Amino acid sequence: MNLIRFRFWFQIIAFALIVYGGYVGLDLGDKLPTFACVFNSEGTGGKCYVGMLQHDLKNPFETFMGFAGYAFLVSLIMFMVWFWVLNKSWCGFVCPLGTMQDWLTKLREKLKIRFSEYSWASRGNIKSIKYILLILLLIIPVMISNSILGLPKLPNGLSMPFCDICPGRMLIPAFTGNFNQFYIDFSSKTDLAMTTLGMIIVGLFLVGSFIKKRFFCYFCPMAALQYIFSEPAFLKLYKNGTKCTRCGDCYRACDMDILEIADDVTNKNLVTEDCILCLKCIAACPEDGCLEANFMGKTIFESTKEGFILRMAMNKQRESHE
Amino acid sequence: MNNTNHNIESPKEKQNRHKAMEAIKLLNTLREDFKAPISSMGYFYDLFERVHCKHESLHDDKTKIGTMCIQIPSEIIYALDGIPIRLCNGFYTDDEIGSDFMPQKACPLIKATVGHFASGNFTDKPDIVFSPTTCDQKTKAGTTIESFGYKLIDVDFPRTKESEASREYWRRSVKQFAVELSKFQGKKLTKNNLKDAIKKIGYAQLLYHKLSEFRKNEIVPILGMDVFLVTNAFFFDKIDNWIEATEKLLSELEIRAREKITVTGKASPRIIYTGSPPIFPNYKIPQIIEESDGIIVADETCSSNRMFNDMVAVDEWNIYDMMDSISDKYLKACTCPIFTKNEDRIRRVIQLAREYKADGVIYQAFAGCTVYEMEQRSVLEAMEKEGIPILYLESDYSPSQGGQLSTRVEAFIESLKTRRRNKK
Repeated sequence: MNLIRFRFWFQIIAFALIVYGGYVGLDLGDKLPTFACVFNSEGTGGKCYVGMLQHDLKNPFETFMGFAGYAFLVSLIMFMVWFWVLNKSWCGFVCPLGTMQDWLTKLREKLKIRFSEYSWASRGNIKSIKYILLILLLIIPVMISNSILGLPKLPNGLSMPFCDICPGRMLIPAFTGNFNQFYIDFSSKTDLAMTTLGMIIVGLFLVGSFIKKRFFCYFCPMAALQYIFSEPAFLKLYKNGTKCTRCGDCYRACDMDILEIADDVTNKNLVTEDCILCLKCIAACPEDGCLEANFMGKTIFESTKEGFILRMAMNKQRESHE
Repeated sequence: MNNTNHNIESPKEKQNRHKAMEAIKLLNTLREDFKAPISSMGYFYDLFERVHCKHESLHDDKTKIGTMCIQIPSEIIYALDGIPIRLCNGFYTDDEIGSDFMPQKACPLIKATVGHFASGNFTDKPDIVFSPTTCDQKTKAGTTIESFGYKLIDVDFPRTKESEASREYWRRSVKQFAVELSKFQGKKLTKNNLKDAIKKIGYAQLLYHKLSEFRKNEIVPILGMDVFLVTNAFFFDKIDNWIEATEKLLSELEIRAREKITVTGKASPRIIYTGSPPIFPNYKIPQIIEESDGIIVADETCSSNRMFNDMVAVDEWNIYDMMDSISDKYLKACTCPIFTKNEDRIRRVIQLAREYKADGVIYQAFAGCTVYEMEQRSVLEAMEKEGIPILYLESDYSPSQGGQLSTRVEAFIESLKTRRRNKK
C-alpha cells in the first residue's frame, strides 16, 4: 500500500462526506472532532464539536447543575469517543481545512516553490497559541451569561467567538457555492471586530498554508482540545527507539515539523501535541519496524526498508522521467 | 667498457612495485586461503589487481572529483557528470611517504592519503579535490595537499549534529559545494539529473542492503573481508560496473544460501566490526579475525556500512528538497566519532549486534586516530552494560605487529566460543 496515495484519496472521500454529505442525507451528529462546518448548513455531513461546545457554554452557571450539565457531559463523552477512534488522524486524514491546506501544498510543490519553515525557537514559542485560543473560546461564551471575577458580562455577539474567526466558516460553505460567509458585519462594534478579524484570518490561512505546510494546524484550538484526550485513543503512533538511527527522514517528511519524531528514542507513544497522525513519518522511515501505526494493539502500518525503497522508487536501476 | 643497461628503479616505480606487492598479497589470500571461494568475487579481485598492480586507469575520459571523506555527496557529483573518487588510502607504502609531511603520531589513513598525493602517482588522478572539514587531521591535511599543487576546496562540516545551526550550516556548505562543482564542470544541476543520481546511488545502496541480509543468516555465505572489498570498490569503480558485479554476486549468494554453502567453521563466532575503517589493502584486523575462525557479519565503519546504510529520503522531488535531504543524510545519519556526542553510534552498534545475532564486537582504532581512540571508553562501557563482549585494538598500517594482535584476537574469539558453549 502506498500510504501517500491512500491518504490522498482518503482525504478526498472524507472531504466529500463532510462537505457534501448533507445533500445525500448524511448526518454524523454535532460532536465531530473535526471542522465539519455548521455554517455549511445544507451540505455538511455532521457538525464540529468546537462550535457546539461554545454554544453549550453560553448558559448561566446554575443551569449546569441540572439536566444541562448532564447533557454537556454526554456531549463531551460523545466527542471523546468519536475522537478516540482515529485519534489525531482526524486532522491528518479527515479535517477539510487540513485537506485544503494539503491541496495548497501540492500546488506549491507543482510550482516548484520551496516551503518555508519556522526557526526551532519560534516553532517552540507558537505552541502555546492553540491553548490560548482554546481557553478563550471556552471562557468567552461563559462570560456572556456569567460575570466572572466581577467583570461585566460580554455582548451576545460573542457567543461563537472561534467560529467568527475560523477560516472554515468561510471556506467550507464556499465549496458548495455559498460565499455568504465572506462579509464584514457593521451592526455592532463586536461583530465588526470579529468578522474583520475573520476575513483577515481567512486571507492568512490561504497565503500561510501556501508557503508553510499545514500553516493553520499549528494554531488550531481543536488540536489543543483533542490532545487533552489523546492518551486513551485507539490509534497510536509508536516508535521503537532502539531501531532508530536518528537519520531525521521522518522529521523532514513531517508537515508539523515535530522534532521529537526523529530525536526522541526513549518514548514509545509519539503522538505529540501537534501531531496530525498523517503517518507520513512512517512512510519515510527506512528502518524495519521502527515506527508503526497501532490500532488497539494491532500494527496496521509499519515502517520497512522495503517499503521505503519502493516509495522512493530506488528499486529500479534505470530511471524513466515522469 | 661494457654497455649493460643498469635500470635504476625510480621512486615512482618503487612505489608502484611496493603497492602492487601489498595488493596482490591480500588478493591472493582472499582468492586462495579461505574455504568455498565465491566465483563472482572474481570481478572485484581483478578490479583491484587491475588498478593497483597493473595500474590501469578506469575513468580516462571523465572528470574525476576527489573526495577526502564520506561526507561529500556523490549524488551531486554524478548529477554534474563527474566521477567521485574517494581518496582515503590503505597502503603502507603511501603511509611511509606521507610520514614526511605529517606528525609522527598522525593517523595512518591520513598519512597514506597525503603520501599518495605527495607522490602524484595516480591511476585516476583527481582533477579537483573536495575536503570536508571533519576530523582535525583531515582538515589540516587539506592545506598540505594543496601545497603539492592540487586544486582543493574545503567543504565546511559542523561537529555537532543536534543543533539547528549546524543543520543550516551544513545545508549551506552542500549548496556551496554544488555551486563550486557546477562551475568547475560547466554544467547545471537540474531536477532530473539530480533525481537520477539519487536513484542510482539509492539502487546501489539497496544492493548493499540485500547483501547484508545474507549475513544475517545463521549460515554465513560470504566473508566480511569480501564485503569490505565490495564496498571499497565503490570508492573508485565505474558505478554501472559495480552495480552489475554486485547483482551477480547477489545471485550467487542466493544459490549459496539455498545450498547452505558457508565460508565459516562449525561454530565461528559472529563479529561486529567497528572503528577506524579497513581500506584496501589494510585488511589487517579483518584478516586476523577471519583467519582465527571468526566471521564478520556486520560493521559500523565509514568504508562500508556507514557509506551505504542511509539513503536520501526526499519528500518533494524538487531541487530545493533534494538538496536538503542530501545534506541531512550526510549529517544527521552519520555516526562519525568527530561529533561531540555520539550515542547514535553506540545505539547503532548495539542494534547491529542484535540484528545480526553477533557474539561480540571488535573495535579497532588506528593509532593516531584520536576521535576513535577517545570514544573507545564510552563504547566499551555501553557494551558492558548490554552484556556484549567487546575487544578494543589499536593498530596501524605497518606489517610488523601481526603476532601480538593475532594473539589477542584469537584469545577473544576462543572466549566467545566458550561463552556460547556455556550458554547452551
